[in-house]
Amino acid sequence: MHQPGLREHAGEEILWYLHSGGKMKTVRISWAVMAGAAIALSASFACAQVNSGAQAISLNAKLAESLTLNLSANAVNFTLSAGSATNAGSAGVTATTAWTLAPGRNNVNVYAYFTSSTAALSDGAGDNIPSSAFYITDNTTPAAALTNTVVFGGANAGLRLANVQITTTNRTASRTDAMTFNIDLSTGTLPQLPANTYTGTLNIQAQAL
Amino acid sequence: MRPSHLRRTILRKKRVMRLPTKFGTKVALFLAAILFAAPGRSQVLNSGASPISLNAVLPDSITLTLSSHAVNFTLLAGNTNNPGSTGVTAATTWVLRPSVNSLKLYAFFSSSTAALSDGAGHNIPSADFQISDNGGAFAALTNTVAFGGANAGLQVSSVPIRGYNKTGTNSDVMTFNINLAPLPNLPAGVYTGTLTIQAQAF
Repeated sequence: MHQPGLREHAGEEILWYLHSGGKMKTVRISWAVMAGAAIALSASFACAQVNSGAQAISLNAKLAESLTLNLSANAVNFTLSAGSATNAGSAGVTATTAWTLAPGRNNVNVYAYFTSSTAALSDGAGDNIPSSAFYITDNTTPAAALTNTVVFGGANAGLRLANVQITTTNRTASRTDAMTFNIDLSTGTLPQLPANTYTGTLNIQAQAL
Repeated sequence: MRPSHLRRTILRKKRVMRLPTKFGTKVALFLAAILFAAPGRSQVLNSGASPISLNAVLPDSITLTLSSHAVNFTLLAGNTNNPGSTGVTAATTWVLRPSVNSLKLYAFFSSSTAALSDGAGHNIPSADFQISDNGGAFAALTNTVAFGGANAGLQVSSVPIRGYNKTGTNSDVMTFNINLAPLPNLPAGVYTGTLTIQAQAF
Protein backbone atom coordinates (compact mmCIF):
# COMPACT_ATOMS: atom_id res chain seq x y z
CA MET A 1 0.00 0.00 0.00
CA HIS A 2 1.53 3.27 -1.08
CA GLN A 3 1.23 6.27 1.15
CA PRO A 4 1.58 9.91 0.12
CA GLY A 5 5.19 10.92 0.36
CA LEU A 6 6.32 7.36 0.52
CA ARG A 7 9.81 6.95 -0.83
CA GLU A 8 10.33 4.11 -3.26
CA HIS A 9 13.45 2.76 -4.90
CA ALA A 10 15.70 4.85 -2.80
CA GLY A 11 18.72 4.43 -5.06
CA GLU A 12 17.03 5.26 -8.33
CA GLU A 13 13.97 7.35 -8.05
CA ILE A 14 11.28 8.61 -5.83
CA LEU A 15 7.62 7.96 -6.40
CA TRP A 16 5.31 10.47 -4.90
CA TYR A 17 1.62 10.05 -4.98
CA LEU A 18 0.06 13.40 -4.94
CA HIS A 19 -3.60 13.87 -4.46
CA SER A 20 -4.80 16.59 -6.72
CA GLY A 21 -8.31 17.21 -7.87
CA GLY A 22 -9.38 13.83 -6.78
CA LYS A 23 -6.85 12.09 -9.02
CA MET A 24 -3.68 10.34 -8.09
CA LYS A 25 -0.58 11.57 -9.87
CA THR A 26 2.80 10.05 -9.96
CA VAL A 27 5.88 12.25 -10.12
CA ARG A 28 9.24 10.72 -10.85
CA ILE A 29 12.29 12.65 -9.89
CA SER A 30 15.48 10.92 -10.73
CA TRP A 31 18.53 11.34 -8.59
CA ALA A 32 20.42 12.60 -11.60
CA VAL A 33 18.01 15.46 -12.06
CA MET A 34 18.13 16.28 -8.39
CA ALA A 35 21.90 16.20 -8.38
CA GLY A 36 22.02 18.39 -11.45
CA ALA A 37 19.68 20.87 -9.90
CA ALA A 38 21.73 20.92 -6.73
CA ILE A 39 24.93 21.54 -8.66
CA ALA A 40 23.31 24.24 -10.68
CA LEU A 41 21.98 25.92 -7.56
CA SER A 42 25.30 25.71 -5.79
CA ALA A 43 27.08 27.06 -8.84
CA SER A 44 24.58 29.84 -9.05
CA PHE A 45 25.14 30.78 -5.42
CA ALA A 46 28.90 30.47 -5.77
CA CYS A 47 28.94 32.91 -8.66
CA ALA A 48 26.47 35.32 -7.07
CA GLN A 49 29.18 37.68 -5.80
CA VAL A 50 31.40 39.50 -8.24
CA ASN A 51 34.14 41.91 -7.23
CA SER A 52 36.00 44.47 -9.22
CA GLY A 53 39.68 44.93 -8.84
CA ALA A 54 40.77 47.18 -5.98
CA GLN A 55 41.87 50.62 -7.13
CA ALA A 56 44.20 52.56 -4.84
CA ILE A 57 44.36 56.27 -4.22
CA SER A 58 47.54 57.49 -2.59
CA LEU A 59 46.89 60.11 0.04
CA ASN A 60 49.49 62.62 1.07
CA ALA A 61 48.54 65.10 3.77
CA LYS A 62 51.05 67.64 4.96
CA LEU A 63 50.63 69.44 8.20
CA ALA A 64 53.39 72.02 8.12
CA GLU A 65 55.16 73.35 11.17
CA SER A 66 54.24 76.87 12.08
CA LEU A 67 55.01 79.37 14.81
CA THR A 68 53.32 82.74 14.69
CA LEU A 69 53.35 85.69 17.03
CA ASN A 70 50.95 88.61 16.89
CA LEU A 71 50.90 91.76 18.99
CA SER A 72 47.82 93.64 20.06
CA ALA A 73 49.62 96.92 19.46
CA ASN A 74 52.84 98.00 17.91
CA ALA A 75 53.48 101.28 19.68
CA VAL A 76 53.89 102.36 23.27
CA ASN A 77 54.51 105.88 24.51
CA PHE A 78 56.13 106.96 27.74
CA THR A 79 55.90 110.25 29.51
CA LEU A 80 59.11 110.35 31.45
CA SER A 81 59.73 111.98 34.76
CA ALA A 82 63.38 112.72 35.39
CA GLY A 83 64.94 110.42 37.97
CA SER A 84 61.73 108.54 38.52
CA ALA A 85 61.70 104.78 38.94
CA THR A 86 58.23 104.54 37.55
CA ASN A 87 57.53 105.64 34.02
CA ALA A 88 54.82 103.35 32.77
CA GLY A 89 54.02 102.76 29.15
CA SER A 90 50.83 104.18 27.70
CA ALA A 91 49.41 100.77 26.98
CA GLY A 92 50.07 97.16 27.55
CA VAL A 93 50.71 94.86 24.63
CA THR A 94 49.51 91.32 24.39
CA ALA A 95 51.60 88.86 22.43
CA THR A 96 49.72 85.86 21.11
CA THR A 97 51.93 82.98 20.14
CA ALA A 98 50.47 80.05 18.21
CA TRP A 99 52.21 76.96 17.00
CA THR A 100 51.89 73.63 15.28
CA LEU A 101 55.01 71.62 15.88
CA ALA A 102 56.50 68.40 14.69
CA PRO A 103 57.50 65.59 16.96
CA GLY A 104 60.87 66.30 18.55
CA ARG A 105 60.04 69.84 19.57
CA ASN A 106 60.19 70.27 23.32
CA ASN A 107 59.92 73.96 24.05
CA VAL A 108 58.47 77.22 22.87
CA ASN A 109 60.14 80.35 24.24
CA VAL A 110 59.04 83.92 23.87
CA TYR A 111 61.66 86.63 24.04
CA ALA A 112 61.78 90.42 24.23
CA TYR A 113 64.96 92.15 23.19
CA PHE A 114 66.74 95.20 21.94
CA THR A 115 69.57 95.14 19.47
CA SER A 116 71.77 97.03 21.88
CA SER A 117 71.97 96.92 25.64
CA THR A 118 73.48 100.38 25.96
CA ALA A 119 71.12 102.20 23.66
CA ALA A 120 67.70 100.62 23.95
CA LEU A 121 66.22 104.04 23.44
CA SER A 122 68.16 107.03 22.19
CA ASP A 123 67.69 110.70 21.44
CA GLY A 124 70.02 110.37 18.49
CA ALA A 125 72.40 112.82 20.08
CA GLY A 126 74.39 110.38 22.18
CA ASP A 127 72.00 110.25 25.08
CA ASN A 128 70.61 106.77 25.67
CA ILE A 129 68.42 104.73 27.90
CA PRO A 130 69.98 101.29 28.38
CA SER A 131 67.99 98.05 28.22
CA SER A 132 68.71 97.51 31.90
CA ALA A 133 66.39 100.45 32.65
CA PHE A 134 63.57 98.98 30.59
CA TYR A 135 61.23 96.64 32.45
CA ILE A 136 58.54 94.28 31.32
CA THR A 137 55.87 92.70 33.44
CA ASP A 138 54.58 89.57 31.73
CA ASN A 139 51.16 88.45 32.88
CA THR A 140 51.52 88.24 36.65
CA THR A 141 55.27 87.84 36.90
CA PRO A 142 57.31 90.59 38.56
CA ALA A 143 58.79 93.26 36.31
CA ALA A 144 62.15 92.31 34.89
CA ALA A 145 64.77 94.33 33.05
CA LEU A 146 66.20 93.26 29.71
CA THR A 147 69.68 92.36 30.88
CA ASN A 148 70.12 88.87 29.59
CA THR A 149 71.73 87.54 26.49
CA VAL A 150 69.06 85.58 24.69
CA VAL A 151 68.89 83.92 21.31
CA PHE A 152 67.95 87.15 19.61
CA GLY A 153 69.21 90.70 19.91
CA GLY A 154 72.25 92.20 21.48
CA ALA A 155 74.26 90.90 24.35
CA ASN A 156 72.69 91.60 27.71
CA ALA A 157 69.76 93.18 25.92
CA GLY A 158 67.09 90.55 26.24
CA LEU A 159 64.54 88.85 28.42
CA ARG A 160 62.82 85.52 28.10
CA LEU A 161 59.19 86.19 28.73
CA ALA A 162 57.84 82.65 28.61
CA ASN A 163 58.85 79.06 28.33
CA VAL A 164 56.29 76.41 27.34
CA GLN A 165 57.04 72.73 27.60
CA ILE A 166 55.72 70.90 24.54
CA THR A 167 54.04 67.57 25.14
CA THR A 168 51.72 65.37 23.12
CA THR A 169 48.84 67.46 24.37
CA ASN A 170 50.01 70.83 23.08
CA ARG A 171 51.81 70.28 19.79
CA THR A 172 49.25 72.59 18.37
CA ALA A 173 48.49 75.32 20.87
CA SER A 174 48.82 78.98 21.68
CA ARG A 175 49.61 81.25 24.59
CA THR A 176 49.28 84.90 25.41
CA ASP A 177 51.71 87.19 27.13
CA ALA A 178 50.16 90.37 28.39
CA MET A 179 53.04 92.78 28.77
CA THR A 180 53.22 96.09 30.52
CA PHE A 181 56.26 98.34 30.40
CA ASN A 182 58.16 100.67 32.60
CA ILE A 183 61.32 102.80 32.30
CA ASP A 184 63.32 103.31 35.45
CA LEU A 185 65.27 106.56 35.36
CA SER A 186 66.37 106.37 38.96
CA THR A 187 69.62 104.49 38.65
CA GLY A 188 73.11 105.15 37.38
CA THR A 189 73.47 108.27 35.25
CA LEU A 190 69.85 108.23 34.14
CA PRO A 191 68.71 110.85 36.69
CA GLN A 192 70.83 113.23 34.61
CA LEU A 193 69.23 112.18 31.33
CA PRO A 194 68.62 115.32 29.31
CA ALA A 195 65.16 116.25 28.28
CA ASN A 196 64.45 115.01 24.83
CA THR A 197 62.55 112.40 22.84
CA TYR A 198 63.96 108.97 23.14
CA THR A 199 62.98 106.35 20.67
CA GLY A 200 63.76 102.73 20.32
CA THR A 201 62.43 99.37 19.09
CA LEU A 202 61.56 96.52 21.32
CA ASN A 203 61.23 93.20 19.54
CA ILE A 204 59.14 90.25 20.64
CA GLN A 205 59.96 86.91 19.10
CA ALA A 206 59.26 83.27 19.77
CA GLN A 207 61.36 80.19 19.17
CA ALA A 208 60.53 76.51 19.21
CA LEU A 209 63.24 73.97 19.84
CA MET B 1 -0.37 -26.30 -98.65
CA ARG B 2 -2.96 -24.26 -100.27
CA PRO B 3 -2.28 -20.62 -100.93
CA SER B 4 -5.13 -19.46 -98.80
CA HIS B 5 -3.96 -21.52 -95.92
CA LEU B 6 -0.47 -20.27 -96.37
CA ARG B 7 -1.61 -16.64 -96.28
CA ARG B 8 -3.47 -17.20 -93.08
CA THR B 9 -0.48 -18.86 -91.56
CA ILE B 10 1.74 -15.98 -92.48
CA LEU B 11 -0.71 -13.46 -91.11
CA ARG B 12 -0.93 -15.36 -87.83
CA LYS B 13 2.82 -15.43 -87.51
CA LYS B 14 3.01 -11.71 -88.22
CA ARG B 15 0.45 -11.13 -85.53
CA VAL B 16 2.38 -13.24 -83.10
CA MET B 17 5.58 -11.41 -83.89
CA ARG B 18 3.84 -8.05 -83.56
CA LEU B 19 2.84 -8.72 -79.96
CA PRO B 20 6.38 -8.92 -78.58
CA THR B 21 7.23 -5.83 -80.51
CA LYS B 22 4.52 -3.85 -78.79
CA PHE B 23 5.54 -5.21 -75.43
CA GLY B 24 9.16 -4.33 -76.10
CA THR B 25 8.23 -0.85 -77.02
CA LYS B 26 6.39 -0.40 -73.78
CA VAL B 27 9.29 -1.81 -71.80
CA ALA B 28 11.69 0.44 -73.61
CA LEU B 29 9.57 3.44 -72.88
CA PHE B 30 9.37 2.44 -69.23
CA LEU B 31 13.10 1.96 -68.98
CA ALA B 32 13.68 5.29 -70.65
CA ALA B 33 11.38 6.93 -68.16
CA ILE B 34 13.34 5.33 -65.35
CA LEU B 35 16.60 6.43 -66.87
CA PHE B 36 15.41 10.00 -67.20
CA ALA B 37 13.95 9.96 -63.74
CA ALA B 38 16.93 8.35 -62.06
CA PRO B 39 19.35 11.34 -62.35
CA GLY B 40 16.75 13.61 -60.68
CA ARG B 41 16.42 11.39 -57.61
CA SER B 42 20.18 10.98 -57.16
CA GLN B 43 20.64 14.82 -56.51
CA VAL B 44 18.77 14.57 -53.16
CA LEU B 45 21.33 12.63 -51.25
CA ASN B 46 21.55 13.41 -47.54
CA SER B 47 24.29 12.54 -45.13
CA GLY B 48 23.69 11.95 -41.48
CA ALA B 49 23.27 15.05 -39.28
CA SER B 50 26.48 15.99 -37.44
CA PRO B 51 25.84 18.19 -34.42
CA ILE B 52 28.18 20.92 -33.24
CA SER B 53 27.88 21.81 -29.61
CA LEU B 54 27.96 25.53 -29.06
CA ASN B 55 28.99 27.03 -25.72
CA ALA B 56 29.04 30.81 -25.44
CA VAL B 57 30.01 32.26 -22.07
CA LEU B 58 29.49 35.89 -21.29
CA PRO B 59 31.30 36.05 -17.95
CA ASP B 60 30.44 38.29 -15.06
CA SER B 61 32.71 41.28 -14.97
CA ILE B 62 33.10 44.50 -13.07
CA THR B 63 35.77 46.96 -14.00
CA LEU B 64 36.59 50.02 -11.99
CA THR B 65 38.78 52.83 -13.21
CA LEU B 66 39.79 55.97 -11.38
CA SER B 67 40.47 59.32 -12.95
CA SER B 68 43.39 59.85 -10.59
CA HIS B 69 45.36 57.82 -8.11
CA ALA B 70 46.78 60.55 -5.89
CA VAL B 71 45.32 63.25 -3.71
CA ASN B 72 47.25 65.77 -1.63
CA PHE B 73 46.12 67.70 1.39
CA THR B 74 47.54 70.85 2.92
CA LEU B 75 46.46 70.58 6.51
CA LEU B 76 45.69 73.34 8.92
CA ALA B 77 45.98 72.24 12.52
CA GLY B 78 42.66 71.77 14.23
CA ASN B 79 40.73 72.86 11.18
CA THR B 80 37.53 71.16 10.14
CA ASN B 81 38.03 71.74 6.45
CA ASN B 82 41.12 70.38 4.79
CA PRO B 83 40.00 69.52 1.28
CA GLY B 84 41.91 67.28 -1.07
CA SER B 85 43.79 68.81 -3.94
CA THR B 86 41.57 67.10 -6.50
CA GLY B 87 38.47 65.01 -6.82
CA VAL B 88 38.57 61.48 -8.18
CA THR B 89 35.95 60.00 -10.47
CA ALA B 90 35.32 56.28 -10.19
CA ALA B 91 33.85 54.80 -13.38
CA THR B 92 32.31 51.39 -12.80
CA THR B 93 31.36 49.19 -15.73
CA TRP B 94 29.67 45.83 -15.34
CA VAL B 95 28.25 42.82 -17.13
CA LEU B 96 26.25 40.76 -14.68
CA ARG B 97 24.13 37.65 -14.66
CA PRO B 98 20.42 37.70 -13.87
CA SER B 99 20.90 36.49 -10.29
CA VAL B 100 22.69 39.71 -9.33
CA ASN B 101 20.53 42.31 -7.68
CA SER B 102 22.81 45.09 -6.58
CA LEU B 103 26.14 46.69 -7.30
CA LYS B 104 27.86 48.67 -4.59
CA LEU B 105 30.93 50.84 -4.60
CA TYR B 106 33.04 50.94 -1.47
CA ALA B 107 35.85 53.14 -0.21
CA PHE B 108 37.96 51.79 2.58
CA PHE B 109 41.19 51.83 4.51
CA SER B 110 42.88 48.76 5.87
CA SER B 111 42.88 50.29 9.35
CA SER B 112 40.41 52.56 11.06
CA THR B 113 42.94 53.92 13.53
CA ALA B 114 45.70 54.70 11.06
CA ALA B 115 44.13 55.73 7.79
CA LEU B 116 47.03 58.12 7.32
CA SER B 117 50.20 58.06 9.36
CA ASP B 118 53.46 59.94 9.70
CA GLY B 119 55.23 56.66 10.38
CA ALA B 120 56.19 57.81 13.84
CA GLY B 121 53.08 56.75 15.67
CA HIS B 122 50.94 59.74 14.82
CA ASN B 123 47.85 58.86 12.86
CA ILE B 124 44.77 60.28 11.26
CA PRO B 125 41.92 57.81 11.77
CA SER B 126 39.42 56.91 9.08
CA ALA B 127 36.74 58.62 11.14
CA ASP B 128 38.34 61.95 10.25
CA PHE B 129 38.57 61.18 6.56
CA GLN B 130 35.48 62.18 4.64
CA ILE B 131 34.17 61.57 1.15
CA SER B 132 31.47 63.41 -0.72
CA ASP B 133 29.98 61.41 -3.60
CA ASN B 134 28.48 63.30 -6.52
CA GLY B 135 28.05 66.46 -4.50
CA GLY B 136 26.39 64.81 -1.53
CA ALA B 137 27.19 65.40 2.08
CA PHE B 138 30.59 64.43 3.39
CA ALA B 139 30.62 61.11 5.19
CA ALA B 140 33.41 59.63 7.26
CA LEU B 141 34.74 56.13 6.75
CA THR B 142 33.44 54.60 9.94
CA ASN B 143 31.55 51.56 8.72
CA THR B 144 32.55 47.94 8.37
CA VAL B 145 32.01 47.13 4.70
CA ALA B 146 32.78 44.20 2.44
CA PHE B 147 36.42 45.18 2.14
CA GLY B 148 39.06 46.72 4.38
CA GLY B 149 39.38 47.03 8.10
CA ALA B 150 36.64 47.10 10.67
CA ASN B 151 34.98 50.51 10.95
CA ALA B 152 37.23 51.76 8.18
CA GLY B 153 34.87 51.86 5.22
CA LEU B 154 32.09 53.66 3.48
CA GLN B 155 29.57 52.51 0.91
CA VAL B 156 29.95 55.22 -1.66
CA SER B 157 27.02 54.23 -3.86
CA SER B 158 24.55 51.45 -4.59
CA VAL B 159 22.98 50.63 -7.94
CA PRO B 160 19.97 48.29 -8.10
CA ILE B 161 20.47 45.79 -10.90
CA ARG B 162 17.33 45.16 -12.89
CA GLY B 163 16.57 43.62 -16.24
CA TYR B 164 17.45 46.75 -18.11
CA ASN B 165 20.87 47.32 -16.57
CA LYS B 166 22.53 43.93 -16.33
CA THR B 167 25.13 45.65 -18.40
CA GLY B 168 25.76 49.19 -17.34
CA THR B 169 28.03 51.90 -16.06
CA ASN B 170 28.05 54.26 -13.13
CA SER B 171 30.11 57.29 -12.29
CA ASP B 172 30.97 58.46 -8.80
CA VAL B 173 32.66 61.82 -8.48
CA MET B 174 34.37 61.79 -5.13
CA THR B 175 35.83 64.73 -3.24
CA PHE B 176 37.75 64.38 -0.05
CA ASN B 177 38.25 66.20 3.24
CA ILE B 178 40.25 65.64 6.38
CA ASN B 179 38.68 66.95 9.54
CA LEU B 180 41.32 67.82 12.11
CA ALA B 181 38.95 69.32 14.64
CA PRO B 182 38.99 66.07 16.64
CA LEU B 183 42.80 66.05 16.37
CA PRO B 184 43.90 69.42 17.75
CA ASN B 185 47.22 68.07 18.93
CA LEU B 186 48.23 66.32 15.75
CA PRO B 187 51.90 67.14 15.31
CA ALA B 188 53.18 68.74 12.16
CA GLY B 189 54.37 66.21 9.66
CA VAL B 190 53.64 64.43 6.41
CA TYR B 191 50.87 61.89 6.70
CA THR B 192 50.45 59.28 4.02
CA GLY B 193 47.91 56.57 3.43
CA THR B 194 46.10 54.53 0.81
CA LEU B 195 42.41 54.82 0.17
CA THR B 196 41.07 51.88 -1.80
CA ILE B 197 38.01 51.91 -4.01
CA GLN B 198 36.35 48.63 -4.95
CA ALA B 199 33.01 47.49 -6.33
CA GLN B 200 31.01 44.41 -5.54
CA ALA B 201 27.91 42.92 -7.14
CA PHE B 202 25.74 40.33 -5.48
